[in-house]
Amino acid sequence: MPRGRRRTELLMLAFAVAVVLFAYANVGFGLNGKLPAGLAEYGLAFAAIVLVAHFAVRKLAPWADPLLLPLAALLNGLGIVMIYRLQESGRNGNPGTQITTIAASTTAAQVMYSALGVAAFVAVLFFIREVRVLQRYTYTLGAIGLILLAIPAVLPDRFSEIPGTGAKIQIAIGGFTIQPEQFAELALAVFFAGYLVAKRDVLALAGRRFLGIDLPRARDLGPVLIAWGVSLLLLVFESDIGTSALFFGMFVAMMYIATQRTSWLLIGILLFISGAYVASKLFSHVGARFTEWLHPFTSANVFCNPTPAAHCVSSYQLVQGLYGMGVGGILGTGLGHGQPYFTPLVQSDFIMTAFGEELGLTGLMAMLLIFGLLVQRGLRAAVAVRDPFSKLLAGGLAFAIALQVFIIVGGVSRLIPLTGITTPFLSQGGSSLLTTWALVALLMRVSDTARRPAPQPIQDEGMTQVVRAG
Amino acid sequence: MNRALFRLSLACLVMFVLLLVNINYVQGFEASSLASKPGNARTFDQQFQYQRGSIIADGTGGPLTIANSQPVKGDSSSSGNAIYQRHYPHGAMYAPITGYDTVYGATGIESAYNKYLAGTSPSLAVHNLISLLTGKAKQGASVNLTVSPKAQKAAYQALLSDGGHQAAVVALNPSTGAILAMASYPSYNPNLLTTFDGAKLNKIDKQLLADPSQPLLNRAINQTYPPGSSFKIITGSAGFSTGKVAGPQATIAAPQPLTLPNGNTLNNDADETCFGGHPQVIQAFLLSCNTAFANIGMKVGGPGLQSQANKFGWNDSNLTIPMQVSPSVIPRITDQSLTAISSIGQLDDQVTPLQEALDAAAIANHGKVMRPYLLQSVQAPDLTTLASTTPSVLTQAVSSQVASEVGSMMVQVTQNPDGTAYQTAGPPAVGSLVIAGKTGTAENTVSGAGLDDAVFTCYAPASNPQIAVGVIVKGGGFGADAAAPIAVKIIEAYLGVH
Repeated sequence: MPRGRRRTELLMLAFAVAVVLFAYANVGFGLNGKLPAGLAEYGLAFAAIVLVAHFAVRKLAPWADPLLLPLAALLNGLGIVMIYRLQESGRNGNPGTQITTIAASTTAAQVMYSALGVAAFVAVLFFIREVRVLQRYTYTLGAIGLILLAIPAVLPDRFSEIPGTGAKIQIAIGGFTIQPEQFAELALAVFFAGYLVAKRDVLALAGRRFLGIDLPRARDLGPVLIAWGVSLLLLVFESDIGTSALFFGMFVAMMYIATQRTSWLLIGILLFISGAYVASKLFSHVGARFTEWLHPFTSANVFCNPTPAAHCVSSYQLVQGLYGMGVGGILGTGLGHGQPYFTPLVQSDFIMTAFGEELGLTGLMAMLLIFGLLVQRGLRAAVAVRDPFSKLLAGGLAFAIALQVFIIVGGVSRLIPLTGITTPFLSQGGSSLLTTWALVALLMRVSDTARRPAPQPIQDEGMTQVVRAG
Repeated sequence: MNRALFRLSLACLVMFVLLLVNINYVQGFEASSLASKPGNARTFDQQFQYQRGSIIADGTGGPLTIANSQPVKGDSSSSGNAIYQRHYPHGAMYAPITGYDTVYGATGIESAYNKYLAGTSPSLAVHNLISLLTGKAKQGASVNLTVSPKAQKAAYQALLSDGGHQAAVVALNPSTGAILAMASYPSYNPNLLTTFDGAKLNKIDKQLLADPSQPLLNRAINQTYPPGSSFKIITGSAGFSTGKVAGPQATIAAPQPLTLPNGNTLNNDADETCFGGHPQVIQAFLLSCNTAFANIGMKVGGPGLQSQANKFGWNDSNLTIPMQVSPSVIPRITDQSLTAISSIGQLDDQVTPLQEALDAAAIANHGKVMRPYLLQSVQAPDLTTLASTTPSVLTQAVSSQVASEVGSMMVQVTQNPDGTAYQTAGPPAVGSLVIAGKTGTAENTVSGAGLDDAVFTCYAPASNPQIAVGVIVKGGGFGADAAAPIAVKIIEAYLGVH
């Protein structure tokens, strides 16, 4: 009799909550030697949120992977801790410079978003009892995804541009902003999975053989070209290179899972590189990313007027992040002892550099390993599930997390050109948090399906034939 | 599909491994170079958190503090501790020596001895540890320089009152190499760069960098000029050392004009004849006859001339004082006609004011060039000495015999009524003090303004040399008129004579 391992999950959740509470207390001691305000409130709220998620899983997905939820909770909690630490910088008599892009209520908001995220998590588990039912909505979700992507591009700049960055990726209504592309990620993943499951036999058909690789037939190139085109439009009209790379990468990976044809992988990578290269020549904001990547320390690239910080479009932010990581060194300055406030918008794309500064290389490696585990559990669910649609969706989503972490952490640590994209679970903001929780819920649903024992065969001593249902 | 999933897992693994390797590189290996990047605001901030060491001019007339860190009152420090601001009490006068220390980088002594001033030198580790354990604030070590406040003040004010020409001067002790004064004009006020306000700092920094008069340039060691006739010290030394010229009393052909092997003609200054065309070398030297020294140069030959210059310290691109010194250049020439022009300090000859001072110092110090230096000693906050300079010989330029021969010629430049510097550095100007020198009036094709660069190199007193000076005034005109008075002021101030 296989076990759901829900008690293991609860134990690990308790561990995650304990780590988060200690980190939170550590921030207070680091900043001013006292226990931080809100330890009880935020601590209870966070524990409650996590418990709700756990009991929902007990009820709705008892066979789900026991590691996914604790990993997600730990990351989410650490994100709240860092956002609190950044919010307190220069506030309430604490050392440091006040970060103007963070409000005094940002931590409370982030806790609320976490609650909403877990609500989305529970809702997904509640409404989607089998991932494959989503296959019915392939094209509906595809259309919704495209519309979500397109909205910011057609809106006037004042509604859709993140001030000072040139990136048109949000909808701002009365001080409240959402980033529809985050939700589009899930809708498009479902669309890709549904579409590829339906077409995979055709796409897998080989055309000519070239250099030992089976090239696809020319007429089957349509879908990949369309996805490529959409990602390029995103890049050009919304200045959103990171998301464009993420979506295209997810699509190519899913195409590869569906067809097992390496040629699709190569075609996708070649298309993206050539597209990015041409865009870098045609559009200055894309080209600037390469310059900043290759020559971040050239003084002309580094300097930008630190006030207001949001108006930095040069490598200033990248370089400040690197300086922070450098100061952190192997063991970090300790929470509350660093100066992450030097990095503009550190609470968003650059939050990993704040962890690098205060928790050091050690802490950063641990956090990357947590992400790695999360991805691995997702891929494991994809391998284990039998239904091809679920397999494709879970594989694509798990890969998307890995790719997103790679794009943003690689970007801020100068492994690859920096492209703005949120760090899953950690970056401040509700849209990303909600989406990632929903994504984890989908992975858990897939793993639940995969690990659920088949209904017991009807055993009858007299019969030789075993009838297996399902 | 599972096979593809496994491969994709491998791709994810590769991505995570790349990330891990990269952050190990950034935080493990690159951390120290990131910390020393000039734009690092975190380090910039840290530098205000402790008292950086003082820089002190400790030569004759000193000690005089020329850079220190002062606690700022009423400033909202991030950590609540005292914060310190750098202060240069004498501003532009000492700027070529102190340099500055900002988030954009440091220059001068601030840069060269940063490890002492910032207290990061390994020799301060024990001291820092004790400070940490006893709860005392970290403090940098102070750096004592050989600079004489008397000489430096005279040097800067002489340049300042010279009518706005770009100019620089170096004075040093010929028997040790200790630098007594180093001034450059136009200069800048390093106090402008000590602001905490990043935006203001950026603005000032940009202004200084864009200023066409290049105030940040230390002309004393990092700008070269044609040496003109002052190079005749080298040419004469080469003649005597190689034996091609018997001595100061030997006669040498000095036609006006001199026809060079390539058919061009070389003239004396103002096309004057030189003692009827057959002067003794010493006469040609005091009158600064070009054709005589062109002939000596051709006797020695281009390579011989270059090797003699090298022995005086020319063409040395590794010299530091501790700031990097631009090499003074004399190219290797094999063509006799070009050698003739090079041997009177024209053509492609280029010299720094420091090298001019070294040329005179070598003659003053029996032919030995002492390694020039600024650092006298480094004192830890507990007053223990962490480092000091022992004078050392850089090169042997000429034998002491040749040095005294050339020295006797240099004395005639100021003491003989016909000498080029008789009026401005001889008895009419300085009375009984005997200065040994050589003027130079270099045609400056680069400036193109038509005005010659004025050069004067000298040492004093001639019988017991205590100071050697090299002055170059860009576009100043005659070396005797524009450059020599500057050297005289410094010498008088330093020796305390009037």
